[in-house]
Amino acid sequence: MPFDIALITRIVPALAEGLTLTLTLSALAIVLAAAWAIPVVLGLMSRFRPLSILTRGYIEAVRNTPVLVQMYFIFFGSAMAGFRLSGFTAGLIALVLQNGAYIAEIYRAGIQSVSRRQMEAGLAIGLTPGAAFRIVVLPQALRKVIPPLGNQGIVIIKDTALVATLSVAELTFQARMLADRTAAVYEIFFALALFYIAITSIFSALMRLVEWRMRVVQ
Amino acid sequence: MFDILIASFPLLMRGVWITLLLTGSGAIVATIFGVVIACAQLFGGIVLRIAAEAYLYIVRGVPLLVLLFAMYYALPYAGVDLDPMSGGALVIGLYFAAFMAEVFRGAILAVPNGQWEAGRTIGLRTPRIVTDIILPQALRVAGPPYINTVIMLVKGTSLVSIIGLADVTFVGRQIVERTLAPFEVFGGVAVIYFVICFALSRCGAYLERRTSYVH
Amino acid sequence: MSIDSVTAALAPVEIDIRGLSKWFGAHQVLKEMSTEVRLGEAVVVIGPSGSGKTTFLRCINLLEQFEQGEIRIGGEAMGYLVDPQTGRRTRRTERDIARMRAQVGMVFQSFNLFPHMTALKNVALGPVRVNGMRRDEAEALAASLLARVGLADKVDAVPGQLSGGQQQRVAIARALAMRPKAILLDEVTSALDPELVGEVLDVMRQLVQDGMTMVIVTHEMAFARAFAHKVLFMADGELIEHGPPAQLFGDPKTARLQAFLKRFKEGYQL
Repeated sequence: MPFDIALITRIVPALAEGLTLTLTLSALAIVLAAAWAIPVVLGLMSRFRPLSILTRGYIEAVRNTPVLVQMYFIFFGSAMAGFRLSGFTAGLIALVLQNGAYIAEIYRAGIQSVSRRQMEAGLAIGLTPGAAFRIVVLPQALRKVIPPLGNQGIVIIKDTALVATLSVAELTFQARMLADRTAAVYEIFFALALFYIAITSIFSALMRLVEWRMRVVQ
Repeated sequence: MFDILIASFPLLMRGVWITLLLTGSGAIVATIFGVVIACAQLFGGIVLRIAAEAYLYIVRGVPLLVLLFAMYYALPYAGVDLDPMSGGALVIGLYFAAFMAEVFRGAILAVPNGQWEAGRTIGLRTPRIVTDIILPQALRVAGPPYINTVIMLVKGTSLVSIIGLADVTFVGRQIVERTLAPFEVFGGVAVIYFVICFALSRCGAYLERRTSYVH
Repeated sequence: MSIDSVTAALAPVEIDIRGLSKWFGAHQVLKEMSTEVRLGEAVVVIGPSGSGKTTFLRCINLLEQFEQGEIRIGGEAMGYLVDPQTGRRTRRTERDIARMRAQVGMVFQSFNLFPHMTALKNVALGPVRVNGMRRDEAEALAASLLARVGLADKVDAVPGQLSGGQQQRVAIARALAMRPKAILLDEVTSALDPELVGEVLDVMRQLVQDGMTMVIVTHEMAFARAFAHKVLFMADGELIEHGPPAQLFGDPKTARLQAFLKRFKEGYQL
């Protein structure tokens, strides 16, 4: 199995051309999904039955279909509907819709895991339900959701690779272009894997820092 | 609107067959390797444990698509003559083995320590304790998360469409390029996945209800 | 009590403990404990929380490791062999340890019954898998033991269907099924609702009267006073006082024991 280390030093800059797009897409998807999940979880936990059922339907629809199919749906569908979206945008929307649903579930689990008794304690000292939620429950829930959010972030980073199939010139796309042109396939995909491992490792380390700062680990 | 779907039905079904085949074989590979890795983590010496941790670290950090590409491009160079189907099943299986290992390890650790002690107290040795006491309890706990991992695996098989395997996503994309009806066709494909995954999640819910009786 | 104290003194030593010491890190939790349990004796260990009573008990069947001292069961060294010339300690093989564990039964505070098996199978598992008994023989033995602890009608029940007291009695039957040389009982009534404690103590009393060798860690002072042959009082990992219950409860010699008993006597005085 031929393996040329020197070749890798030439491959890395070529791949790195896709790095910005991967990082941008990842960051945008993470932030937007976390934001989109807020109205979703509110809808999910709403007392207005039609809304909660609708939200539940959206979550189940998105969780039981592959994100790739969702991307194709949005990408090709938008072209057909007349307002052709770029591969980047279509991919971003699909990632946000898919992961927003998962993150909404994470929020829900976090909120419900803060014991009902905490809420009652807040009410007992005279806080309104809204204030009790904001002051007592939410800060505790926030600490609990950070670790699963970190995991979801890694899922998002890895799923950005899928937009390569929509001709977005991110990391995986660059690797594929290189592989089609040269014979150094081992080195190319080895370097590509290293890129992703580096990105996810740095992200994980950042999340652990956030956890430590918020004193999640007790 | 539905005539396109009806006309493409046989094609789609062939794609579904490939998807199911990949899911089945991938799940078998993932389960077997998942057990191996979990055993290495729980019962292995320091060398095995490090190897298992390294494997998990790599799989967690690299997208499945990259691994599929690596297999697709690199295997021919290695002189290995593996058909795309087997290669796809193998890569998918090895990838999801990492998730399976987590499920199995978590299930074994969920069995209370007192069960191990009670087994030791009547003089049983570790292998017996595992087979007679720990595994039956662990399998009950492992059921629902196992099903969840299989659901992830089903969705993961859609990636083989990118390396040209004719699963239902690939077929869908072909049909759309021909008929220019993305909403109907990809909608139909989504529904097909939904049916498969939702059926699996119902199994998981059933298992979850059954296990709560014993504990 | 049915055992004559003279006979008791002549009975062979079943469990012999010499200089038992154990550390958790830098903290010494057992300090040179030495005592003997003779055949047919019921020894009760009392003491405040954190005194090391449970740790001491768990050393006997090596659920806890110990760093110094010796434990002999039926004359055989448990857990570690000490070379008489070099003084070097080696841990015995897992096989030998398992074999010796089978000779000493244990009943836990949290029962630890196997939830996926019926009471009958819980009790029969040991005889079948360890003693190589035939399944039908083992199940007959299990049925008779369950009858002995008053659960003849519950043989096919799973632990989830049994009350705490019933579960604990199954646990006792499970320990008896191995025909052990001695049984260790670790606060077996502490996790039970008060009205269920009696049924378990009844079974224990019966075992004492049947001549079973037992080491019992408990807070049930009345039981200790009535049925123990010997009482050990532990505090801070040390054996402070020991002797027949009449002597320990009636005429405590050390200030610590006096203080401990006073707290029990005072209890809830409204």
